[in-house]
Amino acid sequence: MALMESSVVSGLEESAAADLAVASLALARWFAAGATMWCVAPEWPSHGRHVAVEFVHPVIVGKRALPAVSVDAADAISVVRLAARPGDILLAVSSAGDTCTADLLARADAWGLTSLWLGAGSRPKGSPADLVVWLEGVDPAVASRSGDMVLMYHLLWELTHVVFEHPGLLEPGPERTDEVCVTCSDEGRVAEVTAVQPDRRVEVLIGGRREVVDASLVDPVQPGDLLLVHAGVAITSLGGAAS
Amino acid sequence: MSAEPTGFLYPFIDAEERDEAALVTELARSAQSKMAESRGLRSATLERCRDGIDAAAAAMAACFLQGGRLLAFGNGGSATDAEGTVGLFRHPPHGRSLPALSLVDDQAVLTALSNDVGFELVFARQVIAHGRAGDIAVGFSTSGGSVNILRAFEEAARRDLLTIGLCGYEGAAMTVSDAVHHCLVVRSESVHRIQEAQDALMLELWSTVQRYVAQNERP
Repeated sequence: MALMESSVVSGLEESAAADLAVASLALARWFAAGATMWCVAPEWPSHGRHVAVEFVHPVIVGKRALPAVSVDAADAISVVRLAARPGDILLAVSSAGDTCTADLLARADAWGLTSLWLGAGSRPKGSPADLVVWLEGVDPAVASRSGDMVLMYHLLWELTHVVFEHPGLLEPGPERTDEVCVTCSDEGRVAEVTAVQPDRRVEVLIGGRREVVDASLVDPVQPGDLLLVHAGVAITSLGGAAS
Repeated sequence: MSAEPTGFLYPFIDAEERDEAALVTELARSAQSKMAESRGLRSATLERCRDGIDAAAAAMAACFLQGGRLLAFGNGGSATDAEGTVGLFRHPPHGRSLPALSLVDDQAVLTALSNDVGFELVFARQVIAHGRAGDIAVGFSTSGGSVNILRAFEEAARRDLLTIGLCGYEGAAMTVSDAVHHCLVVRSESVHRIQEAQDALMLELWSTVQRYVAQNERP
């Protein structure tokens, strides 16, 4: 294995360091507000367990234990849906192409979770998670065993505890506004179908809360499907049930 | 970045801190410097351990070619290193799949042994159950002093397994134990940096084993 040349790597590290700084501030604020972090690493289950034990059992004596749970990918969707509370954190550790991660992240908003995606290789396109921390320019399969991946969540842990030393900055910043519509200030939210009722009405999870919405404008749905809901009406189907 | 020792006397100073941008800048600077430190330590460790890696890999390849299996163990984060190592040998990104067993995966075995005979023997007793002469015992301990890891190595050496240790801190018990045939040591004071360098060592070890296996399995 060849570790990369310093000149090549420093620019990539600068970008990852900036991601880590923003993510650590957010993570500390979410923990301070009472969040539990649910950790999933479908391609590398050992990293899911490692990141959880870092937070639960700090390597430095005197640092506070933080609630983090590692979840097996095989039943991550049903476990996190059932056990996570609104305001909790979903942490995915994977490559950009992992389908299980994509499926989980697509549901995080419906479950009321904030999401953090940590990975290596080609950076994911779009913004499938609330926060993305990425080490680019490396082969993700190699990064997962070269020390790069474990370095990334070691730093996430270290910086999160630095933020805890600044209590004045632990209060949350402004609310996210990316869902506001220019015409009606409520463009729509992602909802996950939990049960189908008569008269084209469906029970959904939306922001982690159960609601019944009108599904007469979309094709028939089944539990696990994702919908875009606006003012109590499902306006678009976003895809099929979880595999 | 540690707080002033007298900071508790003036909680209102920190409590009124509002300069978010300055903190984010400081966090990014700290992250980047630790990344450089980690990369430097990994490179230096691989360079310094080159001969040790080569000797350990040659011995491991000989075991695999004779039908030996790898048994891996560690505690906490090192347990996940053991698990990841087993995954690397079983399902390599390239090259040949090699037989490997993690001694940290079965909670029934771990809790039964911990409850009945004590945590110090949690891996040694599994070595007794699974280990055969010609197998390979790989143990991780960032401190180099975890008693259950040392006991497992002693049991493994007694049974003529090849023993490979990865640890931090030169002079730690693992580095001077006769039961550890090949000990690869990371020189650092930070548990996190040691763990990252242990990953790099293991990846290099695996890669070298692959080369030796490929060289020797065909006439």
